Amino acid sequence: MKLEDLNPRRDYSGFMDLDEGWVSRRIFHDQDIYEAEMRNIFARCWLFVAHETQIPKPGDFLTTYMGEDTVIVCRQKDLSIKVFINSCPHRGNKVCYADAGNARRFVCNYHGWGFDTAGKLQGMHEEYCYDPGDIDKSKWGLKEVAKVGSYKGLVFATFDPTAPSLEDYLGDYRWYLDCIVDNDEGGTELIGGCIKSIIPANWKFGVENFVGDAYHAGWTHDSGTRAMNEGNAFPPIDMVNSFHASANGHGHEFGLEGVGDIFLLGRPKVMEYFCSVLRPRMAKRLGEKRSMIFGSVASASIFPNVSYLPGISTFRTWLPKGPMQLELRTWVIVNRNMPDEIKDEITTGVMQTFGPGGAFEMDDGENWENCTATNRGVVTREEKLHYRCGIGRRLDHPEFPGIIYRGQYNDANQRNFYRRWQDLMNSNGTWSDVPDRNGNRLKGRETRDLPLGLQSL
Amino acid sequence: MNAVMQEAVKQPPPSVELISEMQQTLYREARLLDAEAYDEWVTMLTEDLHYHMPGIETRYRRDKTDQVGDLKRMAYYNDSLEDLNKRLRRLKTGTAWSEDPATRYVHLIGNVEVEHTAQANEYKVYSTFLAYRCRNERDQDTLYGNREDIWRRTSRGLQLARRLIVLKQNVLLSKNLNIYL
Repeated sequence: MKLEDLNPRRDYSGFMDLDEGWVSRRIFHDQDIYEAEMRNIFARCWLFVAHETQIPKPGDFLTTYMGEDTVIVCRQKDLSIKVFINSCPHRGNKVCYADAGNARRFVCNYHGWGFDTAGKLQGMHEEYCYDPGDIDKSKWGLKEVAKVGSYKGLVFATFDPTAPSLEDYLGDYRWYLDCIVDNDEGGTELIGGCIKSIIPANWKFGVENFVGDAYHAGWTHDSGTRAMNEGNAFPPIDMVNSFHASANGHGHEFGLEGVGDIFLLGRPKVMEYFCSVLRPRMAKRLGEKRSMIFGSVASASIFPNVSYLPGISTFRTWLPKGPMQLELRTWVIVNRNMPDEIKDEITTGVMQTFGPGGAFEMDDGENWENCTATNRGVVTREEKLHYRCGIGRRLDHPEFPGIIYRGQYNDANQRNFYRRWQDLMNSNGTWSDVPDRNGNRLKGRETRDLPLGLQSL
Repeated sequence: MNAVMQEAVKQPPPSVELISEMQQTLYREARLLDAEAYDEWVTMLTEDLHYHMPGIETRYRRDKTDQVGDLKRMAYYNDSLEDLNKRLRRLKTGTAWSEDPATRYVHLIGNVEVEHTAQANEYKVYSTFLAYRCRNERDQDTLYGNREDIWRRTSRGLQLARRLIVLKQNVLLSKNLNIYL
């Protein structure tokens, strides 16, 4: 039984017109659309499940969700990573109840079915009650995902065996992603522990906010900005030298002043470290332009549900829990070779700004909650939402890969996020139906070799 | 130094007067927080304050990871007095939109225990909290947990020097933490 057989073919084009610049409110509320998202997007895309540094040793595991499917991510004896569904094949009970830890086996609490860390069924309670022929244990292990991939420390998994490779899925976005995951020797790590919280909002509001919404920062976060920075308001934005960049739904919006996001963190020692120590190294490693993208007023999302802020160093996923609720999982991301003092300063700074008690984060939740809740009204939800900002400011940039728009106060990345949404929702079943919108021109190239982006090809 | 590193050294039991004084102090603190009287609340905090609310994952019992004592791990609050003051500045800007209309707070404090420490002017105080918030039409949530404090008698009266807050939730079942516990 294939998932797509359960989903009658629908045309999702009617829910938005991205050339005109509007989106229907119904995609943030409707249960049927949500179910279709779970099948067409979350059961097919590459989803972030872990950072390599969270599960370094054999037996190390963590539990998370791919869509609403609950999974275990476990480091194997041969140091590969396996991801399997956290559900016993016998009666379906979870086999792992912890967020993380180290295990030699996973045993179901119901009938004692025991699985090794590779998910193989090893034995059951009172196994003798199964007559020969009742069960072939080799066929009743924990169900593995189709593919697991790792990109510079970030571990992704997909349920879809026909999905493109992780590198191709990330495509040209890798040029931007490397600003945070590959700006220095040794790569990154996620600092100890995960802070989780719920927001009663549709998952897409979180992702679209980070993919392109620099515009809200100066208003929503005025109080947070002033609190963290001696009363100073959000810095003025240069609408000529700031951009939206989007590739197949992934998006990064950024200025080039190099300091805006670090400034918002409110930790002078971190500013000093980034400017005098890290930036010169980054310029050598990734090129001058990318060393200025990092640390600028900027935000980013990886389709469908990962977001981060370079310079502020918060990294997060938005887990869908029904159309009107999301679970936010957030970590601090740092370079492994940063001095301990800088890592501590960054951790403190992130918690001050982007934890649930954070001066910035606190003002977002209520906005998104009410963007979602108002659509309970049958009349309200037939209205359109305006996504036309900057619709005429597209340009062909000689260096920046992806679809580029000028001016980071823009709805361009949001429009392109929903373009990808629509492409996946409409291609009922096969990845070959999903268009590549010129999002993989750097295919096969290590982006460190491409300091000038497209010009380096 | 972690919030409450004073090891329990065998001390004489606290007097009834001390217990009463400490309870009244905690209740006054709760009343100030209910009323958003943060300027007054801050006068109850020492210069060397450590205010710590760790993020605690669900782990099996056999897992020996120190999620409370390890200050390098992620936390909701891991603040000095200066850090706390920075957070509080947000409320004075007049542009903290999610604080207007005002949140309705109730801090219910109970299970208060007082112990002497090796320092004559410092007391270890345990308490339990139920913190309720209600916003707008019907937006409500309740947080439950324990606190371990060190209170110090200074020229300004009893002041809070260390607080460890253990929230009894894994996923924070609230969209934000616009509250001090």
